[in-house]
Amino acid sequence: MEFYFFHLMPWPHLPEDYHGPAWIRCPNELYDPERGVGAYNRYIDELVYAEELGFDGVCVNEHHANAYGNMPSPNLIGSILARQTRRCKIAIVGNALPLYNPPIRVAEEFAMIDVISGGRLIAGMVVGGGPEYYSNGLNPAQARERFYEAHDLIVQAWTRPGPFVFNGKYYKLRYVNPWPRPLQKPHPPIWIPGAGSLETMEFVARRRYAYMGIPYFHRRVFERNFAFFREACEKEGYTARPEQMGWLCPIYVAENDEIARREYEPHFWYFAKRLLPGIETSPPGYTTARSAVKLITARSDFLLFVDTWEQVVEGRYAIVGSPETVVEQMTDMIQSLGVGSILALLQVGTLPADLTRRNMELFAREVMPRLQAWDAQRRAQAA
Amino acid sequence: MNETLVIGRETVELRRKGSGAPLLYLHGGIGDTDWLPVFDEWTTRFSVVQPLHPGFGASTGGERLDGIEDLVFHYLDVIVHLGLDRSPLTIVGASFGGWIAAELAARYPAVVSRLLLVAPAGLWIDEAPPNELFGREPGDLAAVLFHRLDHPVAAMMTAVSDIASLPEHLILQQFKAMEALARVAWNPYFHDPKLERLLPRVRAKTSIVWGAEDRFFPPLYGQRFAELIPGASLHLVPNTGHLVVLECPEEVTRQLLAMTN
Repeated sequence: MEFYFFHLMPWPHLPEDYHGPAWIRCPNELYDPERGVGAYNRYIDELVYAEELGFDGVCVNEHHANAYGNMPSPNLIGSILARQTRRCKIAIVGNALPLYNPPIRVAEEFAMIDVISGGRLIAGMVVGGGPEYYSNGLNPAQARERFYEAHDLIVQAWTRPGPFVFNGKYYKLRYVNPWPRPLQKPHPPIWIPGAGSLETMEFVARRRYAYMGIPYFHRRVFERNFAFFREACEKEGYTARPEQMGWLCPIYVAENDEIARREYEPHFWYFAKRLLPGIETSPPGYTTARSAVKLITARSDFLLFVDTWEQVVEGRYAIVGSPETVVEQMTDMIQSLGVGSILALLQVGTLPADLTRRNMELFAREVMPRLQAWDAQRRAQAA
Repeated sequence: MNETLVIGRETVELRRKGSGAPLLYLHGGIGDTDWLPVFDEWTTRFSVVQPLHPGFGASTGGERLDGIEDLVFHYLDVIVHLGLDRSPLTIVGASFGGWIAAELAARYPAVVSRLLLVAPAGLWIDEAPPNELFGREPGDLAAVLFHRLDHPVAAMMTAVSDIASLPEHLILQQFKAMEALARVAWNPYFHDPKLERLLPRVRAKTSIVWGAEDRFFPPLYGQRFAELIPGASLHLVPNTGHLVVLECPEEVTRQLLAMTN
């Protein structure tokens, strides 16, 4: 079992009287660069601290024109981490491939980070969120085709001797020959997040990449999706490794359940009710019409549409409590999902630096070792 | 009245009614994909043909669209297959369909004799960017498209508080249509940067009808079309929004008859 510390780098200073979306049209006058200095540097410190606490890796991701996550370029943060950490994996999950033209840029930057970090990069590849197709002007009806084509180009750029010709539908390059090449062979491990599309799962299963469940859904959505993914791997003739499945979840640990909820709840609702609105935007053609219909009819299973703390606890939208409670709920979830990569989101919304650090410390000291021991025992029994 | 036309591997759903000179009606993105009562009035003088664009209704090929040019060639094929090129052809195009009609008349001037453009898309004016179509709730969209919100279609759109409550086949059809539209009109947004240069090539007798209260494409666009198409006349319709064919069909009929007499 592997533990990753995930950071979104949210904007915690939305004014109380702002009730609009956090995406696409959230006025960027609400971004105050003076306060940004503190936010960025604090968040980077938290990522670096995760290595000190013994996490196996750190995760960052890419989002544009929003207050939810201020990392339009996760590769910039990744390259800082390549220098400020020594041991942990750096999972960039991921680059929104269609937003890079030509996507050779991704092959180059990922290779740079892999080489600088001595082979610690995990290369995440994503289609990009629905809102990003508004913010970047890219045609959402081409999203999936561009994603697959860009993926092919990047993997070829890493594995085929250059220069070679690539003649795709969207990307036509006569001289593919990126310098540097990645250190890891044949290339850095690839992680691909998905929201339950069968097409994505089959693709990830076929290539033996790792599948990461898109977060903030009711546990039954995760259960269904990971079951589908394991099935897709079986169809490819192998059994999925637990580490091939990543589960991202907001987690908060404190002395006891009552303190945990009291300290955490307002910051969590800022995240759910102020930073999520707009994330559900699904522009035309971004998914197949059939998947889009499925998604809007399943909306009630998405955190944005959840209103009470009881629903949060019941659906495991977040895991909050004493170390004992957190260990108990996590072992239950890990067992039912079959996952082996735990992506712990230990800072959300307005959760301040001191509570974030204590959360990280308690998780690393009280939760991680117990889960590892439980996992080792479980594996020994199975063997 | 309902027909299916097969061209190559694609199917076109269309309605055809009336007798007389051919009239091709090219619909917009929303509101006029059904056969409208006003079309019946035209059938005494015209053989009215209303095809659905690729991706709309039962018409196939929406997922293969890549730009406005694909629709120009598509409708050239439709015109030839239906024999609409055998006598002088009138095209009435509204909104998105007006854009297709304008492109067709500009690129193939010999094909179109009379052109009635009803608040067509196709141009871009920096001072007055068109409104947003994609990703809006139906009620929100109705408020931008209609001037009179008590119009039955506007009222119907406003009544839909949650898309998920609609029957699944309707949502699916709507998503498919919007995807086809996005393939052509997402970026550049509902316009073709080349169209300004092409419009002076139009040889059809042209009338342009525009709702004076259009908040989707402001009437400024009507003036620009009228300046660029030789001999075109612009008619502003008072108390009317973007969907003139729904809000003030009698004015569309009046201009149609005026240009054919």
